[in-house]
Amino acid sequence: MSPVQQPEEDISLRIQELAGNLKIRDVMTRHVFAVTRTCTMRDVQTIMKNNAISGIPVVDSNHVVGMVSVHDIMSAFEQDWMADAVADHMTTGVRTLSEEQPLSFAMSAFSKFPYRRFPVVNRKNELVGMVTLRNINVALIQELSRQLATMETEGGRVTPPASSDSCIFYRTYRLARYDFESGGKASAELREQLRVRGVAPKTIRRAAVACYELEINIIAHSHGGTLTLYIDRDCVRITANDFGPGIPDVEQAMTEGYSTANDWIRSQGFGAGMGLPNTKRLSDEFAIQSGVDMGTMIKSIVNLNTSEELSDESK
Amino acid sequence: MNKLKPLIDVLSATILNGPPGWEDREVRGVFASDLISDILVSDGEETLLLTSLLSDQVLRTADVIGAVAVVLVNRRHIPAALTKAATKQGLPLFSAPLSKFNACVRLGPLMEMA
Ligand SMILES: Nc1ncnc2c1ncn2[C@@H]1O[C@H](COP(=O)(O)OP(=O)(O)OP(=O)(O)O)[C@@H](O)[C@H]1O
Ligand SMILES: [Mg+2]
Repeated sequence: MSPVQQPEEDISLRIQELAGNLKIRDVMTRHVFAVTRTCTMRDVQTIMKNNAISGIPVVDSNHVVGMVSVHDIMSAFEQDWMADAVADHMTTGVRTLSEEQPLSFAMSAFSKFPYRRFPVVNRKNELVGMVTLRNINVALIQELSRQLATMETEGGRVTPPASSDSCIFYRTYRLARYDFESGGKASAELREQLRVRGVAPKTIRRAAVACYELEINIIAHSHGGTLTLYIDRDCVRITANDFGPGIPDVEQAMTEGYSTANDWIRSQGFGAGMGLPNTKRLSDEFAIQSGVDMGTMIKSIVNLNTSEELSDESK
Repeated sequence: MNKLKPLIDVLSATILNGPPGWEDREVRGVFASDLISDILVSDGEETLLLTSLLSDQVLRTADVIGAVAVVLVNRRHIPAALTKAATKQGLPLFSAPLSKFNACVRLGPLMEMA
């Protein structure tokens, strides 16, 4: 039985967990008002007033090239720019979020930047939605209520969001920056969970090492985050999710030998730049997403019941 | 395959933690490194781990890769916390006065014979 956690710790862990499971696409507003460069500041003001919105993206063939906020409109009033094209007075260098990113990235973005809304783009960098803090709050409340309802019908048991009947173990661990003390807790528990279920030692080792590498990366390289373990009959799913600083070049980070570890991390025996490629090698499925200043989310799946299991049994 | 006991004897190692039955645990290979990153990339099974690292993470790493035992080489004073952690984990832990290189040299013939 896993140790009982403090209630308040539990609540915010749950929120972090939810934020890692939902995507920005799931919460954004899809019905977006956007204008082109040649619209006037007055056009924008009219759209804002009629639709009660306070920020409008400016697009050029669906790519976001700027934003106009209520603040920009007020300046335009003062300076008598209302008849000018938005291109002359919009805010440029707009930060966008990608619809594929986990909701936790959007939460980091809101806490790090002074903006009240972010345009959301798809893989082709085209505008597909907008996200505000309100969108996030509503989505979290809805998801929490859904879980509460399930808890009531299932007598107090919280089921994982992507609820599966065959879930055997489910737990989220919180990991703080440089807290090497906590590194290895999740992997030790994972190892034990798999051992008591008679999983082959080779498979246990693959899953435990992948988990440990991800734990240590959160501790060594991120501002802090969570690691979630999910075990069912077929596989182990490890999800590492942190709130920044993100990885500027994921391909480079995935290269053996690339590391930004400082001397202190190296003095702990880490920092050879092997962790991510090793995790990928050990996983049956591996996915990484990262947004600069927003966070990193890594999923590793190790299948159970593989040929390793069979060959080990037949020995 | 080697038993753990003769390997520890040849290193003239001190027992820091010797859970019951440690002598007969089987060792298939030896891995010597001071880089946790490299230990995690290694594939050997039933490994005897040699290291001069003294951080807590060494024992966790040993646990994660399912190592049979850990020998701290090149050391006289071992932090009490490390021995305590090994006891808690049930991991056999030893300390050898030899350098890592000399420890490997002594283990070599035994491992080859097996
Ligand atoms: N969660 C993270 N947040 C931010 N940056 C990360 C994160 N995980 C990895 N990185 C970046 O990717 C690099 C490569 O990671 P990787 O795990 O492969 O190597 P390492 O942690 O530096 O060394 P090793 O894993 O061998 O101890 C890191 O040095 C760091 O720059
Ligand atoms: Mg790493």
